[in-house]
Amino acid sequence: MKSCHRLSALALLCLPIVIGCGSAGESSATAARTPAVSIDGSKFLLSEEPDGAVGVITAREEAEDGMPLVMVGRIGGSDKPWIEGRAAFMVLDASMNVVAEGEDSVDGEICTGDCCATERLACTALVKVIDSEGQLIAVDSRQLLGVKEADMVVVEGRAQKDKSGNFVMLANRLFIRR
Amino acid sequence: MLGQRLLPWDYGVRNLFRRPSRSALTLGGLTIVVLLVLVVVGFIRGLEKSLSATGNPNVVLVYALSSAADIENSSIPGRTPSLLAASVDGVRRQYGVEYVSPELYLGTRITTANMTEPGMGLVRGVTTTAPLVRGQVQIVEGTWPQAGEVMVGRLAHSKLGADKEDLAIGEQVTFDGRTWTVSGHFTAAGSAFESEIWAPLAELQITLKRQDLSLVAVNMDSPERVADVDLFCRERIDLELKAVSESVYYASLQKHYKPVRMLGWVVVALVAGSGIFAGLNTMYGAVVGRIRELATLQALGFRRRAILLTLVQEATLLACAGALVACLVGLVLVDGSAVRFTMGAFMLSVDSVGIAVACSVAALLGIVGALPPAVKAMRLPVVEAIKSI
Repeated sequence: MKSCHRLSALALLCLPIVIGCGSAGESSATAARTPAVSIDGSKFLLSEEPDGAVGVITAREEAEDGMPLVMVGRIGGSDKPWIEGRAAFMVLDASMNVVAEGEDSVDGEICTGDCCATERLACTALVKVIDSEGQLIAVDSRQLLGVKEADMVVVEGRAQKDKSGNFVMLANRLFIRR
Repeated sequence: MLGQRLLPWDYGVRNLFRRPSRSALTLGGLTIVVLLVLVVVGFIRGLEKSLSATGNPNVVLVYALSSAADIENSSIPGRTPSLLAASVDGVRRQYGVEYVSPELYLGTRITTANMTEPGMGLVRGVTTTAPLVRGQVQIVEGTWPQAGEVMVGRLAHSKLGADKEDLAIGEQVTFDGRTWTVSGHFTAAGSAFESEIWAPLAELQITLKRQDLSLVAVNMDSPERVADVDLFCRERIDLELKAVSESVYYASLQKHYKPVRMLGWVVVALVAGSGIFAGLNTMYGAVVGRIRELATLQALGFRRRAILLTLVQEATLLACAGALVACLVGLVLVDGSAVRFTMGAFMLSVDSVGIAVACSVAALLGIVGALPPAVKAMRLPVVEAIKSI
């Protein structure tokens, strides 16, 4: 009888020990961390919309390297338009619409999938917000400027273009249309 | 005070040994249920571990924009590694060596000496910088592959469906019209690399008559610097490159396998549910045969609550014993068993989470399985119950 008692007690005692054994769960991999905001983003924001803004498609075609430029576009054109931890993002020409990957698209619409990757290149541009020394600001644009996806922005700065057709908008300031 | 009202602990234990065959059968049934739960949880945990162990947040994968995240379909120029190293700040360097790994990755039919039909395997063409970027890779036997040689991961045989001995050092494998000699074995901390075969990049390019690469893996100084590679790829659209953090890439694969994992948890619920019904059935049988005994206990002055507790105690003891047996069997036979899947192979993992889930299911079986029949038996009036046969 005692042995029965001991066996059952042992079984119950062993249970939590067994539960406690084994390797601890490995932490899941983390994405790139964004440093805390330490730069005042308001100095990059315009209170009034600048004049003479051109669309992304026009800017890509007509802008010259180093020339001052005012460009208007909607933040997006990619499944992830943000550069994590940097004041840089993608803008899409205002005349274009984005549909979900796999959906049928008509003229003026592109999807965020890889099937439209080449088409997207012609109507999207990378915007880099730079400081007075021309350096890209290492703070996520969502935190620095308070912008969010699909915001219409008017960007003031200069064009950076090379012979291979790569076009980047180096922005000094921007206006958010809301 | 409460102790005086309860039945002795021994009473419940003795009852289990009073009907040894019934107890043994119930124990066997409960053990199988818990073991099934353990296997399914081990499958889910093994798959999750394999994909999460593969992603390093410091490493960024650069591949073709048009490949739809399928690295096997990716083709990028051979000059990409040097271009990246020269153009992007924050690439890890040590003793003048940049931690940049150009790689050619393909799934192909591979034959070993004893295989009648070729199996689908994963081959990665690498240079000596690969272990700098893939820090989890360790050569555990043999040497780094030279010309005409390959190094195989410890789960490569599972992926191929071959015997482990077929990939022993000195054995030969054939793929893409060339025979390669196995020079060494490597492990990679349970990551997906363990199901791959690594060959020297230049040799593989010659064999495949290719000059391009599938991807470049770059080890950055910190996870924050991964954004700089992304920025470079978005600036240089003429290169048509895409940069994704390795951890993000494998996290997206985890999402891809989410339905499989969900199905696994559904199976766990179904197995546990069927186990509870089996337990209910057994306990109904056990309690119905003891109605007179239980009524006598009531007549002696024991409260219904105390008798109910004894019945739950019996069932829980049996279920916990079943859990212990199942966990022991699981740790000995299930843990570490290799399973093939599209991304390679992974090992079933009986870890603390699996054991906790299995033991919780066992406790649930014991408590929930015993309560309804016990409550039913307790509802009978004492006089009627004593008369019952």
